[in-house]
Order: sequence, then C-alpha cells, then structure tokens
Amino acid sequence: MRRVLLILCIALIPLMSIAQEADTKDWVRRGIHIDGVTVYGNRPMKEIGTQQTKFDTVILKENIALSMADVLTFNSAIFVKNYGRATLSTVAFRGTSPSHTQVSWNGMKINSPMLGMTDFSMIPSYFIDDASLLHGTSSVNETGGGLGGAVKLSTKPANARGFGLQYIQGVGSFKTFDEFLRLTYGNDNWQVSTRAVYSSSPNDYKYRNHDKKVNVYDEDMNIVDQYYPIERNRSGSYKDLHILQEVYYNTGRGDKLGLNAWYINSNRELAMLTVDHGNETDFDNRQREKTFRSVLSWDHLRDDWKMGIRGGYIHTWMAYDYKRDLGNGIMANMTRSRSRINTFYAQADGEYYLGKKWLFTANLSLHQHIVVSEDKNIIRQDGNKAIVGYRKGRPELSGSLSAKWRPVDRFGVSMVIREEMFGREWTPIIPALFLDGVISKRGNVVAKASLSRNFRFPTLNDLYFLPGGNPDLKKESGWTYDAGLSFAVGKEGIYSLTGSANWFESFIKDWIIWLPTPKGFFSPENIKDVHAYGVELKGNLDVALTKEWQLGLNGTFSWTPSINTGEPRTPADKSVGKQLPYVPKLSSTVTGRLSWRRWTFLYKWCYYSERYTMSSNDISLTGKLPPYFMSNISLEKVLVFKWADLSLKGTINNLFNEEYLSVLSRPMPGINFEIFVGITPKW
Amino acid sequence: MTRLVHYILLVACLLPSSCMKWEYGLEEDFDLSASGDGLFICNEGNFQYGNATLSYYDPHTKTVQNEIFYRANAMKLGDVCQSMIIRNGIGWVVVNNSHVVFAIDINTFKEVGRITNLTSPRYIHFLSDEKAYITQIWDNRIFIVNPKRYEITGYIEIPNMTMESGSTEQMVQYGDYVYVNCWSYQNRIIKIDTKTDQVVDELVVGIQPTSLVMDCNNKLWTVTDGGYEGSPYGHESPSLYRIDAETFTIEKQFKFKFGDWPSEVQLNGTKDKLYWLNDDVWEMDVTAERVPVRPFLPYNGTLYYGLTVCPRTGDVYVADAIDYVQQGMVYRYSQSQELIDSFYVGIIPGAFCWK
Repeated sequence: MRRVLLILCIALIPLMSIAQEADTKDWVRRGIHIDGVTVYGNRPMKEIGTQQTKFDTVILKENIALSMADVLTFNSAIFVKNYGRATLSTVAFRGTSPSHTQVSWNGMKINSPMLGMTDFSMIPSYFIDDASLLHGTSSVNETGGGLGGAVKLSTKPANARGFGLQYIQGVGSFKTFDEFLRLTYGNDNWQVSTRAVYSSSPNDYKYRNHDKKVNVYDEDMNIVDQYYPIERNRSGSYKDLHILQEVYYNTGRGDKLGLNAWYINSNRELAMLTVDHGNETDFDNRQREKTFRSVLSWDHLRDDWKMGIRGGYIHTWMAYDYKRDLGNGIMANMTRSRSRINTFYAQADGEYYLGKKWLFTANLSLHQHIVVSEDKNIIRQDGNKAIVGYRKGRPELSGSLSAKWRPVDRFGVSMVIREEMFGREWTPIIPALFLDGVISKRGNVVAKASLSRNFRFPTLNDLYFLPGGNPDLKKESGWTYDAGLSFAVGKEGIYSLTGSANWFESFIKDWIIWLPTPKGFFSPENIKDVHAYGVELKGNLDVALTKEWQLGLNGTFSWTPSINTGEPRTPADKSVGKQLPYVPKLSSTVTGRLSWRRWTFLYKWCYYSERYTMSSNDISLTGKLPPYFMSNISLEKVLVFKWADLSLKGTINNLFNEEYLSVLSRPMPGINFEIFVGITPKW
Repeated sequence: MTRLVHYILLVACLLPSSCMKWEYGLEEDFDLSASGDGLFICNEGNFQYGNATLSYYDPHTKTVQNEIFYRANAMKLGDVCQSMIIRNGIGWVVVNNSHVVFAIDINTFKEVGRITNLTSPRYIHFLSDEKAYITQIWDNRIFIVNPKRYEITGYIEIPNMTMESGSTEQMVQYGDYVYVNCWSYQNRIIKIDTKTDQVVDELVVGIQPTSLVMDCNNKLWTVTDGGYEGSPYGHESPSLYRIDAETFTIEKQFKFKFGDWPSEVQLNGTKDKLYWLNDDVWEMDVTAERVPVRPFLPYNGTLYYGLTVCPRTGDVYVADAIDYVQQGMVYRYSQSQELIDSFYVGIIPGAFCWK
C-alpha cells in the first residue's frame, strides 16, 4: 500500500508544478489574509461570560476521512475515548462521563436517549459547517444536562451562485476508500446543497499483539516455543454512508426557512479484542445503524428582535448481532438485539434587544422520545417465545429565559434561568450567572466568570433496560463555576495572537454508574459524588511571515482532576479521593499550519496523560495505559485551473508508527497513509 | 519550494517524539512445588477490557501473589476469568470472553497448552485424561474436548434450548452421569449420560439455578436466583434445592424471601456443610431441614461476590468486589468466625480453586 501511495505522489508532482505557475500570480495579487482582532466592544451580547471553543472551517474541512471524534482529539482539550479506528468514540469533557456532554445538531439534541452519549465517530466533520464547544456552565445557555458541557454542531448555507460541484476521493492504507460529493445550487433566495460521504475499509491493520502469544507444540502437544503474533485487526471492517440534504430560502426581507435532512447507513464490525482466542471466521460481531435526522426551521429577523421556530424528527434503527458458526457454515445468533428510536422535536426561541444595553432571550424545546429496545430472544417457561426488552416513551421539555445587560462597553452580565421536565419529573430552577469585563483595552484583556447549577436525568436504559434498569435512580446534580482571562492582540494582515486561561470547578452528586451484580448482569446506581476541577488554556497565533508564507499555531492544554468524593462503598474501598478511571488528568493538543502560496503543511499533535483503569488508581501490569502522544501530518496543494480547482493532499497518521492502545485490549493502527484528490469544476 | 522543504524539516525536527509504549511483559520464574496448600483466585476483570487476572494465596504464610499468569507467561489471561479446576497438577483456567481454556502448571503458573475457539466457556469437568466437558453461555451445546490434544472433539446438544438463550453452568458427576445446572433464562438441571454424551433427563427447579454441588450423601444442591423484576421469564422467590442424585428428584425446597439474591453454593472439605451468599454468608448442615435463622457471617457493609471453604481447615474465604473497578478484597475467616486475614487480589474476584 505504501508503494502505491509513493507512486501516486510521484505521478502527481508534475501536475502540481504545471499548475503552480497559474496560481502564483493570483496568490501574490491577493496576498494572505489574517483576520483582525475582535476588539472588546464588539463582543456579542449573547456570549457574555461564556467559555466556548469554536472550530473554524479549516479544521472541520481538513479532510473527508475525519469524524468529529478526530476533530475533537486534535483540536480541543476534550478526552476522546477511542475504541479503535472507526469504532465507538465517546468524550470526557472536563473530566465527566460521555453522557454529561450534550450534543446538538441544528438545535436538535442528538444524544442517544437510551444511552445518553453520542458516538462522535458517526459524525463526519465534512457535514458540519459550524462547531463549538460550550464549556461547563456555558452549556446552560443552550440546554440542560451538560454537566461537562455541550457540543453545538450546525450546517449553514453554502452561499453558492449557480450550480456547483465538489468531489473528493481518498485512498488510504488498509484498503480504505473515502468519497465525498457535494452538489450546490444558489441564487439570491435559494441555497440548495446535497452532500454525501461514503467510507469503507476492511480496516485490517497489522499490529504485534503484546497481550497474547502463539504456542508451537511438538507431536505430543508439549509447548516448544511461544511468540507474540503479528496479527491483523480482526473483524473491524466498516461501511458508512452519510447523505445530507439542505434547502434554505431567504426572502431577503428578514425571513429564512431551512430544511436539513441527514441519513446515515452504517455497517460496522466490532473488532476482536487482543486477548480473543476465537477463530475470526467463526464469529460475526456486528453493529448496524440506520438513522434519519431532519430539522425544519423558520427564522424571522427584525431590527431589534427575532424569533425562530424549529421542528424535527429522528428515526434510529440499531442492530447488534453476535453470531457464531456452528461448524456447518450456519451462523447462529448468540445475541440479536434491535432498537428503534423515534424522536419528535419542536423548539421556539426569541430574542429582543432593548436598546443597545439589554438583550432578552427565551427558549422552549420539546423532544419526545419513543423507544423500543429488544435485547434478547428467549423461550419462556411455558415454551412460548418472548423478547427481553422495553418500550417506553418520554417527553423532555426544556425552557430558558435570559436577560443580558451591558451597561458600559467594558462590562456585561447575563442571567439565565432554565427548567426541565423529563417524563413527569421537573428539575428545580437551574440558575446560571455570567459576567465579563474588560480589564485592559490594550491587549483586549477580558475577564469572564460564570456560575450555574445543573441536573442530568437518567437515560431510558438507566431506568428501564432489562435486566438491570433501575427506575429508582435519582437525577444527577451539580454546581459549576469557572473564571478566566482572555486576550487578543494583532495587526490586520500581519499577525494575530489570542489566548485564554480558565479555572473551573464542578461538584457533581449522585453520579450514575453501571455495576455488575451478583445476578450476573449490570445495574446502574447513584453511587458517586465527584469533584472535577482544573485549568484550561488555549492559544492561537497566525502570522504572515512574508507575503507568501503564513504560519498558524493553535494549542490547548487542560489539567482536569476528576475526583471521587463519595463515601467508601465497602470498608476495603480505595477509590475515595482518587481520579476517575479512564479520565486523563492532563491533555494537550497542538496544531501547526504552514502555508506557502497554495501549499499547506499541517502538523497535528495530541497528548493524554496516563489513564487509570482502576478506580483506586492502582497501576497493574495488566491494566496499564501509559501517556499517549500522537502526531499526524499532511501536505496539501491546491491547483487552480480555468476549468476547475484541484486539490491534492497526502496525510500520514501515527507518524512515529507507535504501537499503542487508547483503551485496554483495543489496538490502534500504526503509521498509515491516505491521499485525497478533489475537484471543483468551474462552469 | 526549497524554502517550504526547509520549513517542513525545521518543524519536523521540533516535533515531540511519541512516548506511549504498549509494553511487553517479562517472564518471571515461580516454583511453588515445595509448598502445600494454595488457593487460586479467578479475578474476572471488566467485561470487554481483557484485564482478567489470576491470584495465588498461600494460607500458611498468608502471602498473596497477584497477576501470576501474566507474570509467569508475559501475556494476558484474557477477558472474564470465569472458573478454574485442577487435575493431575495442571490447572484449567476458563476465560469466558476470550473463548479459551488455559492449562497451566500449578507450581510455575506457566502455560502448558490451551483449548481455543470455544463459544463462551463457563466451566470444565473432566471425565478422563482424554475427555472433558466445557459448558457455555449463549450456546445450546456443551463442548466435548480432548484435554490431552487441546481439541474440541464433539458437542452435546441440549434439548429445548436455543443458541441465544443457551446457558449451561456447573457440573457434578454421580456414577456415569453428569448433572448440569442451566442458568440464564433457564430453570432446570439436566442429566447427561457420559457413555453416550446425550441428555437423558432433566429436572425443573426454580428460575435460574446458579450453582450446583454434591454433598457427602450424594445429594445435589442448587440455589436459584429467582429471576428479576420485569423478566418475561418470570420473577419469583429464590430457593435452595436438595436433589437426590440417584432418583433425580427434588427432596427438599428451602424458600427465600422474594427479592433475596442467594448465590455461590459451596461445600466444606468433608461435604457435610453447605455455604452460600445472600447478603450475609450462610452455613447449614446438609442434613438440616430448615435454613438457619442467623448467618454464619453477618453483612458488614461488604458486598460479597465470591465464596469458598478450605477443604482442609474449613476456613471460609469471601470475596468483596467493592466497586468492580478496583482490586477486590478477600477475607479469610476461621470456623469460629474470626477474621484471620484479608488481602487484595484482582478486579472482581469471582471464583476460587484449591490446590
């Protein structure tokens, strides 16, 4: 595979050289654009006191093979717990669990109502035009339940004029193929876009298995030799199709209508563990998903007020099958589970500016979930068949009111109150207070602080899953505050430097954890109180080194102790006062981007400190996950022709070919390559 | 272009090198051939994380060695260590979700062989040096294996059991017959003729019999967990059953309170005393006609998960899995209920095996 890539790269070099001439003039003429610095007086009223991280288009559209899990891994301080390549990827935001991060797409919550979490490996970053993280308290502006924070994802009109087409193909290691097609049409009123991504791979990367040895026997079945085998990632193939249809209509008189519809068809095998001694061909362990999400929106904008109405629908069908060959070629079901989720969504929100100093907002959203979970087929005592599972519906209502006041340019205050109802249970009023103030005009030094209470209701599986669901669970609750400073300096067209440092602290009570029971199944309990705190640092530098050279550096660092402060579960419990398992205390990312004319070299690096696999923080020989550094690079060239723009990109992932694990028994791929060729015709 | 290359090289030189290493183990030499008694502890580990381990405890010196399989073999035991038995100096360690049974030397802990590609093995029972049964969950077959060749040689199909709800568990032998309790979404004990490898009879007990032993009077004992609330299979009060092995009939049913969770029926060395867990640790003579009023060891905030009784001294060992994501604790009590020792083992200590 590496040889094929090398040949392709050599073949592409002459093509790049030919086009270089053409685009040089254009580039010199246009120069390099570096945004000016947002001065303190231009801070949006809606963002008073909020801590958020925004991902720009360059990050989101880096390459078509990336999912939001990859974007978060290399561009934020969030820990992404990755079970392998193209497998379940969940996040720990500020040291919390995956279900403590609320995720919305065009305003609609897309966390699984059954599991509470979101699989970020199932969100192609090329489908997202705007993405931002709302840290801790800041999530209360959007939704409840984000004890760690919220991830806000949305699409937006392409601003096309006439017809447009973009096609990108990626070919990579492990017979990986990624394809992306976008068709657009636009005029003054209409913007229509169709996007499709198809990714497939046997995903059978090689690795040396350090967890297992192969025996060599003599004729009498005595072991005469043992060795660590070089294995392939067994049963890890995937085929993912995503189609996104968008239609926007802008009346030009302050009314905007939008339709977004996203279809997912995913078929993924679940790779065998490193310690699995089963024969790959005798087992089939597979998860399939078909999801349709749609949002219809209407925004009505006036000079000093606006309102929006949204309606949406999600249908998810998920299948998990674990089969084995009976020896006669027939694959029999060991486990056959199915779930269907239908979610109906409605939302109304409004904003009203009273002069330049006051902004009032109101928001009310409803998600009605209807879930059918069929986990197992059994034969009852009377001989009839039955299904172990549950059918439940639950409305989730969330409403908020806020008043934002900026009496002088240098100071702003925002007060939010939110209330939520899940099923028949209401939260107490969730208050949130946000403050910001300019400390120094020079350097645009802004201080921010916020404080909020928050609650998270148990998921439907927490309450009703059979066996083990616990209808007596209490909702989790927490207090969070944060405070920080940010600055921004720069000179239009020459450089910009921004940075921020924040301190946060959260106290979470009644944390829900699934534990095994003596009956042989897992059951959730409110057992932990958690104190999460820490520091988040962010920095960004853009420099025009010369008229043709531009350097961009982006870095994040976070220190997030997440400490169990509950009572000892038994007298022998050593977990109190210890870091939660699988949550790193330290994480950091660095992205460097060096551009010359239409060449771009990108370097991405991320770091996670050691993750404990035990709540007692003991490190055993079999439960060790040492710190984790990862480096990826890419080189891209854009070729501008009269008839089309071409882009050529080569990426190298795991640059240092590390043998590593993110989660125990789940090997990650070594060095791997992918090249992308894109074309955007001009007509 | 040349400048670009220079810049790239400059940046590449500044790249921090990676430091995470997926480490190899180091083989450690053990030799416990001189020691007498010993207790192996099967630590299940967390399902899907492959962190099952094996511990070894010397009751005389009160010392424990953890992760002995990894330390002796420089490889992992696997995912969910379910059970272990010893035959002729070889320990047979059943690792459920790794689809394997390891054979180890019980003095050096070195692997001597393995039976692979099992569906989801739970327990192994020897009929001879060249024939053993291995029960499974999520499979309606008991695997017949040749332990000498580490080969699967056949299957016993269980009547009226589907693959999906397949569950066969512990085995005890009486004459030519092996009795097996069928647990998950099952309610029966089956009887297998070892000469024909066929199920020849079955006995319906309560919902989900979890364990099976045979006492000094050739009486089988099993305890049911009664299912769970909302189960389409039913939910009832659990019971302890005494079954005559000869006639394969229920002699006595001891009913527990609805909602109780009894488990882990065990016998002492002379097989005349029965022990089980039900929040507390309970002890009863095998000839008793009613369950004792007071427990052998009352609940003291410890969540008991595993239980064994030393066949020689009668000391009772109970395992506390704590929160299931840290090293569990094993408590050792004398017959007079005095705490003799306690020691940390691996994650979720669930089963024991005496040397």
